[in-house]
Parts: sequence; structure tokens; C-alpha cells
Amino acid sequence: MQLAINIAVLAAIYALIACGYVLIYRVSRVLNLAHGELMMLSSYLLLTTASLFSGNPLIALGVAVGLSLCVGVLVYLFLMRRMTGEMVLAAVLTTVALGVLLRGLVVLIWSAQQQNPAQALGWVNYSLPVFGGRISAAGAGLIMTTALVYVGLFLFLRFTRYGIRMRAAGQNPLLAAQRGISLHVIYALAWGLSTLTGALAGILISLDSGLDSTMVLIGLKAFPAALVGGLDSLAGALIGALIIAAAEVLMIYYVDALLSDVVPFLVLILMLIVRPWGLFGTREELDRV
Amino acid sequence: MSALLQVEKLEVVYGRAITAIQGITLNANKGEIVALLGTNGAGKTTTLRAISGFLGLDDARVTEGAIHFKNENLANRPPYLITKLGIVLVPERDKVFPNLSVVENLAASVPASGADRKRLEEMTFAFFPKLAELRARTAGLLSGGERQMLALASAIVCGPELLLVDELSLGLAPVVVEDLAQRLVEIRNQLGITILLVEQNAAVALSIADRGYVLENGRVVLDGDATRLKNHPDIQEFYLGGAGERRSYRDVKQYRRSRRWYG
Repeated sequence: MQLAINIAVLAAIYALIACGYVLIYRVSRVLNLAHGELMMLSSYLLLTTASLFSGNPLIALGVAVGLSLCVGVLVYLFLMRRMTGEMVLAAVLTTVALGVLLRGLVVLIWSAQQQNPAQALGWVNYSLPVFGGRISAAGAGLIMTTALVYVGLFLFLRFTRYGIRMRAAGQNPLLAAQRGISLHVIYALAWGLSTLTGALAGILISLDSGLDSTMVLIGLKAFPAALVGGLDSLAGALIGALIIAAAEVLMIYYVDALLSDVVPFLVLILMLIVRPWGLFGTREELDRV
Repeated sequence: MSALLQVEKLEVVYGRAITAIQGITLNANKGEIVALLGTNGAGKTTTLRAISGFLGLDDARVTEGAIHFKNENLANRPPYLITKLGIVLVPERDKVFPNLSVVENLAASVPASGADRKRLEEMTFAFFPKLAELRARTAGLLSGGERQMLALASAIVCGPELLLVDELSLGLAPVVVEDLAQRLVEIRNQLGITILLVEQNAAVALSIADRGYVLENGRVVLDGDATRLKNHPDIQEFYLGGAGERRSYRDVKQYRRSRRWYG
């Protein structure tokens, strides 16, 4: 049972991060390779807000999440917006450069030492009994948050006007502009939402297991989840995350814990050989990558 | 009274070398249907793209002249702001979002400032009752005629004052084209929308237009009211398939080409 709980928690982490990759790719065809760094930045922002609003953990959390959304929008407005109309490769390389820059900034501002946001918030990460196994409060929070985020994104994309416009812009940006949709507003919204979901993942991971610059690796390991599921599919990201998490946990449990960082990329290579466009992705989408 | 749309001495250059439009002047008054006729490469679609702000995507630019809509110069406006101003383009191809349903296609349209979305949506279903029956169907599964209806309906939800329609008849059966042409007249009559209709099918365009312009090699070579154009010997011979005297080898070539379009 504990194995299943571990898989569920890790799948929730990967799914929450992977939906950020999918959101931006689906709308603008750009792979945001700075997603892990943006997620890490959000967790460090929580450290700052925790000290600013000491004694008010909920306000600190809310402000950190809000700031993360603003960071995503600002990254688009001041950086990625200038890449509109350029080659997709140029935009992807810009996100790589942004990631390197953010990693440096984080060490410069908050130092490279391990930090503990839960302690800064005065919050205790209890271990809870569930179905004969145990789960940390942050782990349970991760599963619930992932479920809420996916349901929320589904409802947003399916039933709200901006969600429909976002899907329209992803399908045919030219026609979207002809229908009066401001692509810059839609892209900024996608970047904001993507960074927001990454922030939720980063904050909950840091509450569970502390925070240092290696968090970027978790962001990177979620990338195969998005690719295995199909880069343009949110449902695919969820299934991809489950597959990657199951493979990783089982490998740790039955073979060697040292393989944990390798497994997601092994699964990715296998998937690229068998079905390069992912489980739920479309061939046409892959052609554009 | 000045025209709703005024295109003055417009010159458009692709890249640095190819002049696609060479000093076109045309106008459209409120509530008119104006036909823009011409052969392939005459500059019809380029004119529409210049008006709707999409030249930049093709590495093209306006080098001379100006486009005024309600006396406002459209220079350097992004396409979505031109749409919000009241000019909406129905493109020749890729005119619907194939993975969205009919209703979602309509919901994706952003109405111009001050336009009443609800009323416009109701009117589109009145103009195109078939779309109401197909409201939940994915647009990619619609027939060519239904897609054209959806494209027109989506454009109407934007609340346009000027509708730019590029090749209404492309790839459609004559009976469907005739039906769609009549819907355009109804839309004009009921909503007072001005329509600039780019067509190779001159017979259809001139059957519903009030006025027309004929473009050749980026220049307006003939213009006037639709009746005059229909009776003009050159239009009869080269665009309506009449059997006039052939005057030169160049004319014969052009005639054969035009016969192919209507063949």
C-alpha cells in the first residue's frame, strides 16, 4: 500500500509540473525549459513572504502564489513577447538562458544552503495514516492540489470564454487574431497560469522536503511526463506522470535508489522510439517541435 | 459624406522586390456590397490582407498610400485591434477552428467595442439555422458549405461594420454558393454591414454586388456599378464566359485562363 501512496504522491508532483509545460506548448508551441527554475523561484519567494508575514502562513502562501503568477506574466511581457514571430528554436533557447539566469539569481539572493520553508511558516508536516500506509500532510496536499488544478483547468479551457480563446489561439493564431483575440493577452495568461501551477508544485515540494537549487532537477524530470503523455494534451500529462512515477518508484523499490534520476529519461527514450508523439499527442504537433 | 472604407493609392511590396499592388484606389460606402474581381495574382487577397492588417506575416508592407476606415488611418494597427474597430476578415482557407465545436467557434470571437454579443449570436442562428442544429458538432467534421457558414457566423459575432470575404465560392457546389450569396445579402440588409467581396466567380459576385472593381496585375483596370460591369464587353468576354472577338495573343491567353476558372 505504501508503494501505491508513494507512486500517487510522485505522480501528483510530476502531473502538477507537467501541466505547466503543456499549457505553454499548447498555446504558443514553445517548450519552456525554464519551468523548473520558475518553480524553484516561487518556493524561494515563499521563504521571503514567510518572513514578511510571520504568524500568517496563509497570507504568506497566498502572496507567494500571487507573486509567482505575476512573475510568469512578466516573463512573457518583458522577454518572450519579443520572441513572437521569431523561430520557435529562438524562443526555446531564450527559456534556457532564462533558466540559467534564475538559477544564478536564486543562489545570489537566498544562498545555496538548504532552506526549510515549513519551519519559516511555523508549519508542521505531520505524517498521516491512510489505507494502511502513511502520507505526509504536504504529500496529501499535493494530490488534492493536483486534482483541483486539473479539474479547474478542464473547466476553464472547456467552459470559459478565455479558456476557449486560449484553445483557439493554440490551434490557429492567425485566425484567432482575425476573430479579435489579442494573442499577447492569451500568451501572457498561459505563462501566468503555467508559472502558477509550477509554483503550487514547488511550494508543496519545499514544504515536504526542504528547498535548495536541486529542485530544478524535479522540474526537469517532469518534462518526460509531459512528453510521454503527448505535449499538447493535459490528460496525457496526467497519464504520463503516472507512468513515469510508477516506473521510478518501482525501480527504486526493486532495483536501486540510485536509478531514480535516470528512470524518467529511460521511459522517455522508449516512448520516443515507439510513439514519438506521445500517448495522447498528435503527429502533427510533433512535426512542429 | 466620406466613404466607410477608403483605400488611396495603395502600394504593397512583398520582400524588397515584388510589387503586388500598384496604386489601388477604391472605396466602400456604408451598407454596400462591393465586389473585387480579378485573376490569380491580381492583388485581391493582398488588398484584403492590407486592410485587415496581416501583411507583416507575409513579409509584405505598404510602401505608398493609405487605408482609412471611418476616417481613421489603419497604418501600424495590429490585426486584433482592426477587428475591434469593426473590420472582420473571413479568410479563404483555414476559416474555422477545427478542434472546437460550432458553439465554441462562435464563443472564441471577440465582439467589437459596443457590440451586443448575445443579440449577434441569436442573429447568426437566424441567418444560418443549420448551425443551430449542429451547435455541438466539432467544426473539423463540418462540410465545406457548413464551414463557410460557420466562418461567416463567427465573423458576424465580432460585430463588424465592414466584412471582408475572401473567395466565398472556393471549393463549393454552385447551389451552396448561390445560397451563401443570398445570406450575405440578408446580412447586409438586416445588419447594415458593408461587405467587400473578393471573388474569382464574377457571375456570383456581380449578382449580389452594388459596385465592383476589376484588378489586373495590382492595378484597378475597371470599376463601376454592378450592372455596368456585367454589361461591359471585357467582363462579358473574360469573366462571364462570353464569346467575343479575340483581339490579341495575350487576350486569348487570358481568355483561356479565365475559361478554365469558369469551366
